[in-house]
Parts: sequence; C-alpha cells; structure tokens
Amino acid sequence: MALTIDGKQVEATPGQTVLEAARAAGIDIPTLCYHPAVTPYGACRVCLVEVSVRGRRRLVTSCCYPASDGLEVFTDSEKVRRARKGVVELLLARAPESARLRALATSMGIGEPRFPSVTHGERDCILCGLCVAVCREVMGAAAIAFVDRGVERVVATPFREGSEACIACGACAAICPMGSIEVRESETEVEIAPFKNRRPALRCQKCGKVIAAAPFGERLQERLGEKLTLAVMTCPECKRKATAVVVKKTGAVGGAWSHARPRQGKHV
Amino acid sequence: MTTKLAVNLPELQERARRQWDDLKHGDQPILWVGVGTCGLAAGAAKALTAAREELAAHGIEARIVPVGCIGACYLEPMLDIEEPGGPRVCYAEVTPEKARLIVQSHLVEGQPRPDLALGTVGEVEAPGIPRLFDLPMFAPQVRIVTRNLGLINPEEIGHYIADGGYGALQRALGMDPVAVIKEVEKSGLRGRGGGGFPTGRKWRSGREAHGEPKYVICNGDEGDPGAFMDRSVMEANPHAVIEGMMIGAYAIGSHQGFIYVRNEYPLAVVRLTKALEDARKHGLLGDNILGTEFSFDVRISRGGGAFVCGESTALMASLEGRPGEPRAKYVHTVEVGLHGQPTVLNNVETWANVPLIIARGGAWFASIGTEKSKGTKVFSLVGKVRNTGLVEVPMGMTLREIVFDIGGGIPDDKAFKAVQTGGPSGGCIPAQFLDTPVDFDRLTELGSMMGSGGLIVMDEDTCMVNVARYFLEFLQKESCGKCTVCREGVSQMLFLLNRICAGEGREGDVEVLLDLCELLENAALCGLGTTACNPVRSTINYFRGEYDEHIREKHCPAHECRGLFRYEIVAEKCRGCMACLKECPQGAISGERRKPHTIDQEKCVHCGLCFAACRFDSIAKV
Amino acid sequence: MEIEIARPDYDAATKVVIERYGRDPGFLIPMLQDLQNDFGYVPREAMEMVAEVLHIPLSQCYAVATFYTSISLVPRGRHLITLCLGTVCYLKGAREIGESIQRLLNVAFGGTTDDRLFTFQPVNCLGACALAPVMMIDDEYFDKVKLRQIPDILAKYSAQEKRGDY
Repeated sequence: MALTIDGKQVEATPGQTVLEAARAAGIDIPTLCYHPAVTPYGACRVCLVEVSVRGRRRLVTSCCYPASDGLEVFTDSEKVRRARKGVVELLLARAPESARLRALATSMGIGEPRFPSVTHGERDCILCGLCVAVCREVMGAAAIAFVDRGVERVVATPFREGSEACIACGACAAICPMGSIEVRESETEVEIAPFKNRRPALRCQKCGKVIAAAPFGERLQERLGEKLTLAVMTCPECKRKATAVVVKKTGAVGGAWSHARPRQGKHV
Repeated sequence: MTTKLAVNLPELQERARRQWDDLKHGDQPILWVGVGTCGLAAGAAKALTAAREELAAHGIEARIVPVGCIGACYLEPMLDIEEPGGPRVCYAEVTPEKARLIVQSHLVEGQPRPDLALGTVGEVEAPGIPRLFDLPMFAPQVRIVTRNLGLINPEEIGHYIADGGYGALQRALGMDPVAVIKEVEKSGLRGRGGGGFPTGRKWRSGREAHGEPKYVICNGDEGDPGAFMDRSVMEANPHAVIEGMMIGAYAIGSHQGFIYVRNEYPLAVVRLTKALEDARKHGLLGDNILGTEFSFDVRISRGGGAFVCGESTALMASLEGRPGEPRAKYVHTVEVGLHGQPTVLNNVETWANVPLIIARGGAWFASIGTEKSKGTKVFSLVGKVRNTGLVEVPMGMTLREIVFDIGGGIPDDKAFKAVQTGGPSGGCIPAQFLDTPVDFDRLTELGSMMGSGGLIVMDEDTCMVNVARYFLEFLQKESCGKCTVCREGVSQMLFLLNRICAGEGREGDVEVLLDLCELLENAALCGLGTTACNPVRSTINYFRGEYDEHIREKHCPAHECRGLFRYEIVAEKCRGCMACLKECPQGAISGERRKPHTIDQEKCVHCGLCFAACRFDSIAKV
Repeated sequence: MEIEIARPDYDAATKVVIERYGRDPGFLIPMLQDLQNDFGYVPREAMEMVAEVLHIPLSQCYAVATFYTSISLVPRGRHLITLCLGTVCYLKGAREIGESIQRLLNVAFGGTTDDRLFTFQPVNCLGACALAPVMMIDDEYFDKVKLRQIPDILAKYSAQEKRGDY
C-alpha cells in the first residue's frame, strides 16, 4: 500500500506504523520514547505528525498510528512545528540540564526555555518508558515499572529496594535515551543505579576482571548451553586473546597484517 | 447449581404482578424509605429506626420498602406513607422526630400531614397535598431513565418485572441481532458518558469486528465531581442497566459483560450484585437465557480511585489488572479492546436507555429531543441552586428552564454567574447563554461539553479564575502521568493559575495559558489531557475581566481568593460581641464589648475565621 | 516472660481472596482492595503471594498498588476520614474544612496521625453533591457539614478511644 508523506509517495506494508514507513523511506521524524525492540508507547509526543483523514486533519503520534493506503501525512506543517516545539519546551522544563534535550531544542530553533521547572525529573528522566518496556518485554525480567502517578510518577523497583527479579543485564541503561541509568561495576558486584539493584558479579575465568552480573550470566548459560561456558566466562580482552591468531607479549593482537591468516573472506 | 425458578417470562411477569398487587392492595400500610446514598447521607437510617419504634409502640405492622433516590436529593431523607387503598404521601427532610410525628399523625390518627408532605405519588390523591410530579421541580421533567427511581425496591426483581422489565430483552431475543442494532440506530441514541458517540454505530462496528470472545462493558466510573446520575441509576434501578447490557451483548455477539463501578460507590456494587444474583436465579442471566441459545453473564469489578479510569482504554487496562494508563485510540476499542478483543463500552445511562428503545421503538425515542441529540439527559443539578438533585429533561430544554424553573433559581438572592457542565473536561457557560438549548453540539460550540451530566450552578460569590485553578489542581492529581503534554502541561497551567490566585500573576500569563491550552488540545494522548483546556479557555473567554483584575490589580472581584480582598468590620452592624476577636489567630482585631471592633489590615492574614464566626453579618468582604 | 505477638495469618486470608476471584489476574485491583478490607492495608507478604500465585510480576502489583489512591501499603489509622473535595463541596467550603482537619489533627492529605487514630483521605467526589459539603468517617456520613462542627465531630472519636470503645 502507499501513503503520502510531505507530498512524497511512500510504500508501506500492512501492520506498519507511519513512523516505520517514514524511516524506511529515509524521512526523518524525531523520537525519544520509540525503539524498534519494544512496543510503541506514544508517551513523549515528540514524533507528532499531522494526518488527514476524510478531510479532517489532526495531530497523531507517528510511532503508533497505523499506515494505511492513501493516508496523507505532514511531518513539518505549522501545526506540527508548534506542537513539537511546545512538547520539547515542556520536556526542557522538566530536565533542563539534559544535553540530549538541549541539542534537540537547538535543532528545532528553540532558544531560551519559556517554562520554569515546576516538576522534577530525577536524573533527567523523562518517563519515556523504554527501560520498563525492555526489561519486561525483551528481557522478561519485569524488575522495574512505573510507580505512583501523575507528577509523582517514577520508574522504580517494588518497594524501592533492590529487586530479586533484576538480572543486571544493563539493557535499561543501554536503551535509555537520556543517559539516566548507570551500570556500575565494582570488584564484587554489578549495580544498576539508581534502582539499587545489586547483583554479585561474574569474574573472568582467565584474569578475574568483572564481566557481568551473575544472574545475567546464568540466564545466558541457560540459553546458550553448557558448551559455551568458557565464552561467557571471559572478559572481552581475554576473549580477544583467546581468539587471536598471533599474540605478542605487548598484548597487541595480530602482529603484522601480512602474516595473519584470514579465517573467512574472499581476499587477503 | 441453583435451580432456576422459571425460564418463562410471562410466568415471571404474572408472579411479579401478583406480588406487586399484594403489596399495594394488601392490608398493611407501606413505608417507602429512600435509602440511596443521598438518603443515607442525610440520615435516613435514623429516621427509619424512629419510625419503626413508633410503629412498634402502637402495635402497627407495616411493610417497609427501601427505594432509591427519587431525585429531590436536597430534601432527603424521604419517607413515604401509603395506607391500603390510600394515597402514597411523600414526606421530606424527615428527621427522627418528624418520623415519629408522621407515623403518629398519618398512621395512628389516620391524618396525613400536608404541612410536612412534599407531594403524593401515584394515582390516588390526598386533599391539600399536591401531586409530587406536578411540582415545579418535577413537572417539566421527562422521566425515562429515572422513571422507576424511588418507586421500586431495587433489590426486588419482581418490582422491575411488574413494570415491564425484561420484556424488551425477550423481544430482542426474538429479533435478528442486526435488527436490534437498526432499532438503536434509528433511535439516534448517543453515548451518555460525555463523548456523545452514536451508540448504534458503535454496536454495528462491534458486531462487524473480528474475533472471539467479544465483551460488553458498562462504564460506571462516574468520576466527574458533581455528577451522581449513574450512581443513582445503579442504586435505584440496576436491572435497567443489566437488561440494556444483555440486549447489546446479544446484538454484537458477546457472552461476557463487565460492570466497572468506581470504588467510591459501595452501595451501587451491593445493589448490582444482588440484581445479578436475582437475574441468574430467574433464568434471565447465564446459560440459555429465557430458553434461547443466548448465553451471557456479567462480572462486577471496582475502580481503585482514579478519575482517568473513566476513559475507556484506561478502564480496560484496569480490568486487566494494570494501572489505568490510556493508550492512543487510533485503533478503536470496538476492534481491539479488553484483552485485545472487540469490546463495546457504554455508559450506565446509555445502557439504561436501551430497554425502552427496544420496547417502544427507536422512532419513539427519536421523537424526543433535538435534531442531532435524541432522547433525554439525566443531569445532576447542583451547586448554588435551590432544588438540588437529579433531573431528567428532554434534549433541547434550555439552561434557563433547567436552572430557574426546575432548579428554582439561585438561593439567598444572589445573582447567577455561570453554569459549569462536563466536569473537569467541560467549561463554564455565562448568563448570556442561558437560553441555549441543551444538546451535545450546542454545548460544545460554547466551549464546554455535555459530559456525563453534572450541571454545577455558580453565583456572584464564585471566582471564575479559582474555578479554573480548582479543575487544574484536580486534573494534576488525576493525570496518569504517561504523556509529556498532559503531565507537564497541566502542571504549568496550574503553576500559573496558582500564581494568579495568589496575587502574583504577570502580564502575559493569560497568553501563555492560552498557548498551553492549544498544545493540550492538539497533542495530549487521551481525553483527560485534550479537554483540560476547556475549564481554562472558557473562563478566559467569558470572564477575562476577572483574570485581568487578579493580575493587574491583585484583587479578586468575587472575594474568594485569599489575600486578594479585605475583610472589614461594618461598624453600623457590629454588636461588639467579641466573637471574631477571640477567633483571630493573629490578634488583629481590637475592640471592647458592645463597641464596634476593627481589623488591623497589617496584621490580618486573611484566614476568614472571623467571617465564619460572626453571627451578625457584620464583616464585609471588600 | 516472653510475650508472643500473634502474626496475622496473611497466607490463609490471601488464599481466600485469590480464590474469590477465580484466580483471575484481571481482578488484581478488587483482590488488593479485599486484602485492604481484611488488614486495613495491603501487607507486603500478601501482595507477594498474590504475585506468585497468579504469575504477575511483583513490579506490576506494586505499580497497581501505588497508582490507585484507594490502596494503601502502609497501615492506616483506626478511623478513615474521607472528605469530599468535589466541585460542589469545594464551592461550599470543603477546602476550609480540609485545612481545619489538617490543622486540628496535624496530619497531611493522605496521611495518618501519629497516634494512628485517623487517616485523612480526601476524595474527589462521593456522589452526594446535593448535600454538600459531605464527609465520611468510616461508614458514617456527615452531610451539609459546617466548619465549626469539625472540632466536635473529631473529639467524639478521640473520646471513644479514651473510653476504650472501638
């Protein structure tokens, strides 16, 4: 099926959203709470576009809106620009220190913030929900969730204590668009701050460096089977050493290229 | 498994009519007691106890029939006395003392009390007592949904059946489901929860949607403050709601229904639970209803104390055991609803209209109301109005008729200022629009909306800026917090309104408010957010002067916003009783006994305790 | 002499509640509310059991319990003061009544007094608007409440406590 985005004909497949169709066609629509790995949420409101249906135009979140044959979409109309600007200004009021938001604001031509901070976002959290979604839908742990409601809403663990369900895989930190979640490694533990999830650490069987949290490692073992235990239990550096063709005392891998025997590929 | 008593409706009807006859033409007098939430809140239980004691003292045996709200809620508790063959006399504001007096007079001495009576109900009249439904509060009403309220015992299915109840269901089960939908479409019924979406069209989409099972839901989460129509219907006539749901379920092909009742309505849950049990016992719910192949049952669930759960997708999330977060409705819930299945959700009042539409025909329903808004609407008429309570009027009646004819106008000789409709999603309508006929589209054009039916009357003492502030405060507490625009936008608006009401408003604040209104309307995720602009925008449009006075002069013309007006003792009226002096926490009042007192404005913190304490109306707000 | 403090039997009560709703996870909210009726609040152990039996993530249960204002995870006072702050009650002075209660009992909205006698929970509408302002203490209604009645109403409950009639 085909829809029109900013006057341009774009192909889409049934089940796709306007955002997916646009991205596939190389049309840029900014997002914050969208990630292809999880169900679209529609919370941040940054991806708003205008659609025309039976002559009626309205703003919708492109991440959730189904693409349909003959749909007309406008990603940069006056209405869209005003709305998106308002949204980013509201986000800036909540998280004024965020570099990511400031960059987004600058790209949209927003100068001085218009709104004072009246709500408080812990560590620049904009409640996009990606961490909650990835933890539940993708990793199957559901260790964190949205707690309380309205302006009190935060992402937290049950009873705000370290969660037994957390496997400290770090997916939440990886997916967070604001850099608000940190994975801290110490000699003995891996901690997902700020959720106070601390899990004992797995150490490299070769050199003893911390490589991952134990529950995460266990899960990986279950999935991949006993045979790959060694691969799991070594740190990236030891992995490289173990797979290197030539290892010099200095630690550099490979030595002179001309001596390296390629394992795959068509040419030397 | 309980043995069903009968699956034959004519048999049930026969039995029900005999039961009703026994009651009305028996040899015992009847005491009809209003025990809806209003009645109980006003003290009906104590009044009934007193009445019982008085009866016992005189050795009189009477039948006590509990009924729901008849609608004149401000006159609760209500106690009706009916002697065999005599008139049913409705007594109002019955205290325990009055209850004794009434029993003594009416039952022992056989003399009804015109001085304490409100009116008679039914065909038999009493000398000197008007007919209740001829009174100015009732006469203009057209009681369809509320026709049984206060007249039947909601826990007695027989009363409902005797009045024709479940006859519509039988009729529907004999029709093709599509024909049932056609009848509802013909009626022009639009959703009574506030959205006003054509019900027939929703059912048709529900029928055409793919997927099994399909669900029907009754939205009993009446969250608008000031609205209690749904509560009254659920408490006083639960079977009408159940019958409506059954007809709808049959029409779309559903076998499972849910009634979602907000947590603050425990009595409604009790009444509905009993009604469902009785319906099951009588073969009117469960497998093979009335001997047909149609099977259907209903489960009741409760809200958790969240206004946002009145929104359909949030309600469904709640029914799935999740927090009440709405989702975008780009794919309608008729296609993907509860548990991802096709779901038809309608409001209590919408369902309650259905049995009569099927019984009397869609054309009959369409003959009432305006061109685009058919039928009647139940309103809770409350606030600064004399006759507060539940009223049902045909669409198209004017606001003036409702507020002044039915409502009796503004008490204490105060001037009408505005009527607020639609709860926190609605707006304030000023006096110049009092002659507007009430219907979905007209109210929306005025910057408000029909909403669920709360009609709050405001007078000259109401600060309209504070009204907007109140609603934004409410919305901030109730916002689920999911979407940026509502969570942050409502907070920004509230921040500004708090500032304005505290005397710290700045030039340009109103323009920022209007900008935020535009953003909310266009960009919020759900109805709570998109309509949050209405209380603000309508008050700015119609009462701009008040906003300007707050901002420029730091003065509240309605004398409501603390610190933006002064308390002054009127020397000519002051009796020098020192009551205010004693109340003042700042020691700001000085004066001797029997001499006029004065308030030191420098010390005054505007707490208002002196004003509340003065019994002689000697303190003025300036 | 050691005094044994009886630990409430959460397990048995929780099992009853779960079965009452046919082990249907969609009825999580009524389950938590029933537990609250039994214990005055939702004990952590009870919630953990519900999560386990119904295979609901504990984080979801906690999210639900904190989202809905009628559910409390901390023990409440012996008497629940429910003050209606709906529009009509507000127009008729509920705000002042609310402030008065806060002042007299030294308690915030949603809070419990130090002596655990009262929990003060304002709500958005009790649906008895014609009788505004409306307040409930436990199951007892107070209608058309006047500001000056508040100290006496509250004193009645304190006196009850002192006399030992609960």
